[in-house]
Amino acid sequence: MTAVDPTLQLDTLQVPAETPEQDGSTGPSAAGWIARGAVWAFLAWLVLLYPANIASPFDVPAFDANRMSEAVIFAIIGLSLNVLIGYAGQVSLGHQAFVGIGAFTSAYVVTDLTQEVVLGVLVAALVGAVQSLLLGLVSLRLTGLYFALVTLVYGVMAQQSIFAIEAFTGGTAGKAAARPTGFESDYRYYYFALIGLVAVLLIDWRMLRTKGGRAILALRENPRVAQTWGIDTKAYTLFAFAIAGLFAGLGGGLLAHRDLQVVANPFDFNLALVFVLMTTVGGLRNRTGVVLGSLFFAFLRNGYLVEKLRLEEGFGPIPGPLDVIDLSPEFAPLVIGPILLLVVLTRLRGGFGQLARPFQEWLAGRRFRWIPADEEVTINDVRA
Amino acid sequence: MLAVTGTDLLQSLVIGVVNGAVYALIALGLVLVYRSSGIFNFAQAEFGTVAVYGAWFSFTHWGLPYVVAALFGVVCGIVAALTTERFVIRPLSQGPKVTLLVATAGIALLSIGVAFWRTGDNALQFFDPLTKAEGLRIAGVQVSGQRLLTLLLLLVAVALLTAFFRSPYGLAVLAASQDADASALVGLDVNRISMLVWGIAGTLGAFAGILLQGGNSFTPGAITSLALIPGFTAAVIGGLTSLPGAVVGGMVIGMLESFGRLSTFDFIPGASSVSVFVVLLLVLLVRPEGLLGGRAAT
Repeated sequence: MTAVDPTLQLDTLQVPAETPEQDGSTGPSAAGWIARGAVWAFLAWLVLLYPANIASPFDVPAFDANRMSEAVIFAIIGLSLNVLIGYAGQVSLGHQAFVGIGAFTSAYVVTDLTQEVVLGVLVAALVGAVQSLLLGLVSLRLTGLYFALVTLVYGVMAQQSIFAIEAFTGGTAGKAAARPTGFESDYRYYYFALIGLVAVLLIDWRMLRTKGGRAILALRENPRVAQTWGIDTKAYTLFAFAIAGLFAGLGGGLLAHRDLQVVANPFDFNLALVFVLMTTVGGLRNRTGVVLGSLFFAFLRNGYLVEKLRLEEGFGPIPGPLDVIDLSPEFAPLVIGPILLLVVLTRLRGGFGQLARPFQEWLAGRRFRWIPADEEVTINDVRA
Repeated sequence: MLAVTGTDLLQSLVIGVVNGAVYALIALGLVLVYRSSGIFNFAQAEFGTVAVYGAWFSFTHWGLPYVVAALFGVVCGIVAALTTERFVIRPLSQGPKVTLLVATAGIALLSIGVAFWRTGDNALQFFDPLTKAEGLRIAGVQVSGQRLLTLLLLLVAVALLTAFFRSPYGLAVLAASQDADASALVGLDVNRISMLVWGIAGTLGAFAGILLQGGNSFTPGAITSLALIPGFTAAVIGGLTSLPGAVVGGMVIGMLESFGRLSTFDFIPGASSVSVFVVLLLVLLVRPEGLLGGRAAT
């Protein structure tokens, strides 16, 4: 900018907000609005009606609805890790333990204490927050990413010890976890999971707008500078740990009642890595991206994508890509996941969220345009 | 409940030291990378897996002589480490540490995924251990020649690394870790230094892998699942920046695990991992800078 706006006062220098009129356009035409409305309606149908097999030309089996519930719950867990990796600049490698313990807690409250499912899930969330807080207290004795190491060891410990306590987990047979009244069928349960996701999205969105949320973002960028502004970095990092544990426990509780019978086997270290992958590939600090990434990895893991896109069989004479490279669908997430991760980290900052941004802009009534990701540089220098 | 005799304890001690040697080798690699760049390298143990697969492949498919195959495996491990440094670590070196951590975990997972893709999840039978020497019988525990070789290599590695950090090269590594820009200004090639560090780390990981897997069957991600987590715990307990600390940490973890397997602790499920976790918490609470860490690691 060359000319200084005369109305600007020196002590309240503000960057003028970017408006859609800036590039000369005056918003979409009538046809543009109709097109946007149609896409909105399609998305609403896709999220709200299609999984429950309502108003749909396709016959969605209950099995697929169940897979979609799982994907929605993965999105909750993705948002949980987003709070850590994206906002607080920490990472948990024991998230499978938080989720697993959440699942067993909820099953315990519902089956052994004969309480309502909603209460069970809430208790699971609370237990998740407390665990995360305690581990955080220990790991914050040192600056650095010690939370990753403490949760890593905690995850192994949980897997070999906590999950082996028969009274809590029901041994290898697992523990029964009934569904809430009104949400018994696989189609109905999808909505129960969706309510959980919406709640988490709302909490996440509002939290970032609070003093605590802004403090967490500030301390991620530069803890030292944040400290000089009077932000108690330790307390706010703990706050982030608690929120992440809360979401993870909630996700675990929802997962338990989706499965009806919780077994400990799936909650292994691989799952923790998948959680980290899906969050990062989805796009840190971008809720849409994290949700998309989580859905992608959930569907890749449970075979939904491979089946629907015919990645293995291909179409008629055209072989499926997995078949061409001789990759068993079982191992597909293990190969595709890390490649996507490295591409996202080194080439496409912002991940899936970055790719979705132009569409979001368009849906919001603006122009379809590429928005570059924020450059992320950590200032480790004391003098900065 | 069975009473624990002195012999049991002594045997656990020996087993602990022997297992601890491998953890210590992994921990040394972790400490090296952490000390020179502040990165938690989750791919450290996977360099060992790459080495094992390289050795296995060249031995069974190319029919290389035994020792050559093992050396080829080590070269594979080093190449894996250097590739990681060049294509992942260097482009991200200005980024936040958490990104680097996630990236190294991604490298490890990619390597595991590729191994699954190419070989499936069948256990491959590995060839004989590096040395078939009878070994020693200590306190009623047969310690194979391979295990003694591991202990010997560990001592050599610590001595060499300690000497390295006193040499001009080692000082350059430390200088670059403290202030990369200033080091570049006085004429140090920061990229070279980074390559050097990762090369050494790859060598350590590769040797740990070959020594650990010699004589055993293995599946993809073998070394990562066996030694990465104990290695990390060992490094943290030892102080993350201290080389002798890594060795002591490795021994402590090895012993904790073997003591946890004593029948006295049968009433606690997974007593080994519980004891490791508790000790990690205690160290972080009571002496967060680690057993042998000089000052708190930053």
